Amino acid sequence: MTNDPSNINQDQEGVESTIVSEKQSDQGTDLSRRTFFKRFAVGGGAALLGGGATYAAGSASVEGRIAKDYPETNEDFKPFRQKNTTLSYAASPVLAARDNTRMEQFKKLHDKPADYFWPKLFQHFEHNVPYDNSRPGFTQLDGALQHASWMPWANWSGPKGKMLLFGGTGVPNTPPYTWDQSDKHENKHQFTDAKEAADAVRSAGRLFGALRVGIARNDKRWNYDPIYDLTQDKELSWEKDFPFKPKSVIVMVVPMDYDGMATAPSRVSAATAGIGYTQMAVLAGAMKHFMNGLGYNAVGAGNDLAISGAYGIMAGLGEGGRNNCLLVPGYGPRVRICKVFTDFDFEDEYDQPHTWGITEFCKSCKKCADACPSQAISHSTEPSFYPDHERAKEPGYNWSNHIGVKKFHTDAKRCVDYWLETDSDCGACIASCTFNEPDFWHHWFIMAINPFTPKLIHGLMAELHPAFGYGSTQNPEKVKKFWRTGEGMRVNKHNKSTFGTSNIS
Amino acid sequence: MELAQWFCFGILFTLMSAGLAYLSIKVKLSWWVWGALIISCLLILFGLAWAGASFLEGVAQSGAIALICFSGPGILAISWIWKRYIRPQAANLSS
Ligand code: SF4
Ligand code: SF4
Repeated sequence: MTNDPSNINQDQEGVESTIVSEKQSDQGTDLSRRTFFKRFAVGGGAALLGGGATYAAGSASVEGRIAKDYPETNEDFKPFRQKNTTLSYAASPVLAARDNTRMEQFKKLHDKPADYFWPKLFQHFEHNVPYDNSRPGFTQLDGALQHASWMPWANWSGPKGKMLLFGGTGVPNTPPYTWDQSDKHENKHQFTDAKEAADAVRSAGRLFGALRVGIARNDKRWNYDPIYDLTQDKELSWEKDFPFKPKSVIVMVVPMDYDGMATAPSRVSAATAGIGYTQMAVLAGAMKHFMNGLGYNAVGAGNDLAISGAYGIMAGLGEGGRNNCLLVPGYGPRVRICKVFTDFDFEDEYDQPHTWGITEFCKSCKKCADACPSQAISHSTEPSFYPDHERAKEPGYNWSNHIGVKKFHTDAKRCVDYWLETDSDCGACIASCTFNEPDFWHHWFIMAINPFTPKLIHGLMAELHPAFGYGSTQNPEKVKKFWRTGEGMRVNKHNKSTFGTSNIS
Repeated sequence: MELAQWFCFGILFTLMSAGLAYLSIKVKLSWWVWGALIISCLLILFGLAWAGASFLEGVAQSGAIALICFSGPGILAISWIWKRYIRPQAANLSS
């Protein structure tokens, strides 16, 4: 620059203007930094609030809504006679021999050989078909697992010891589900109020291994009446034979392993159900003794005494599905149900039937019916008061259906027939169910939005379930996958047993 | 271990919010472009979170499809918005 004074002025002005513009730019930077943080805070805060509200809405949604319209029954409805359950008939040689017309009819309608007789097969159920080591799911390895899963039942000694393997058929008063009340404490424990009692019972159930615990009133509509003991071929009355007058039914569900059930139909899925039965016995047995210890009468039950699915619905644990299972939010039908009848009165703490839009979803989804290898599951769009399966119109064919209650009816005879044919208890309708999911957030998300999604979307969701890789059946790869689920179990850092997944792709 | 996923997505979400806030002081966009941009970002995060959970549960197919169905459209939408509305104002981004 020059020494010219005018230039000096100019320079001074230039310096001044540089200083001003730097100041302005600093102010601008400060301003934009401030704006950035402000927007970041406001935007982030709004997003957090939105996320929180969405989470709260989702949590409320998975609580379900009270289902005021359950159950819908008509004039033909009455309590079900246990003698008429398919399993009672299939497992009782006396009953089947006495009323052979049912077997004859089934043989005739389904092209069975002349000497075909369910009870003969049922006596050795799960031991009828030799192992096939070339067929994944039916090898000796798979069979050993299947038989071991029922061990406590199979080994119980006593007059009904031999029949304990058939405990799942609904035989009452067996050792785990004994009617004996001799260990009832003489002092009746007094709770402060019914809420404290219900909380205590639910806490005990949780400790004993229950996934969910609901409490329903004793309801004659769902109790088998009369009860049937196939080991004695004897019908039993609630009034004369049962040890007390029940007031309440504690309903508990135990989860079944996701990867085990995914192998259906196989001996591994049968093992998954088998260990579920064993856990039911432990859970209901422990709860019965807990109630006895508090000074109240109690009897545990597995498949005996009452229709478990209906009690599950009455206790607010889930909804009835097309596959005739209780569909529990978060698990679908991948649960087993046990009950404890007690004379304890829970007053105003009883649970009520709830809906999550599951039965509604079933109207658009027929995945279980498609997967059923014996075509036992209805493809009808709407539930009905009467069975509408293929043979439903044949005279006398529906003896095992509970008519007069609106639901999806199945042909359980075909189901049992398939079990006997494959020597396993199948489970394809559980594995394929759109609501059968491992315990991860995205499945809960779908569960939460389900009640708000229109029918059209239900159909799409049902189609996307297999497209996303869930619910396939008759898949040997699933058996191979199951047998690798033990990897990493020393530390089990993914909590596989809790999340119900193998974490192996 | 599964809960670690939530922590990671918390960080990703924070970064996304910061990115959008930065963009908001650098470029001028109409309200609906902002809406599309935010939805696209959420879609990408949703797909990633779904995929993470699917890989953890061992159903890789579900994760892959989630990335295609949710994150994919999100990425496509952001690319389009970037090209059409943000790149013309690129000079502002570095200033
Ligand atoms: S267990 Fe198998 S045969 Fe029976 S209803 Fe379910 S899918 Fe059908
Ligand atoms: S597979 Fe579909 S139709 Fe069948 S019980 Fe599950 S949700 Fe209902």
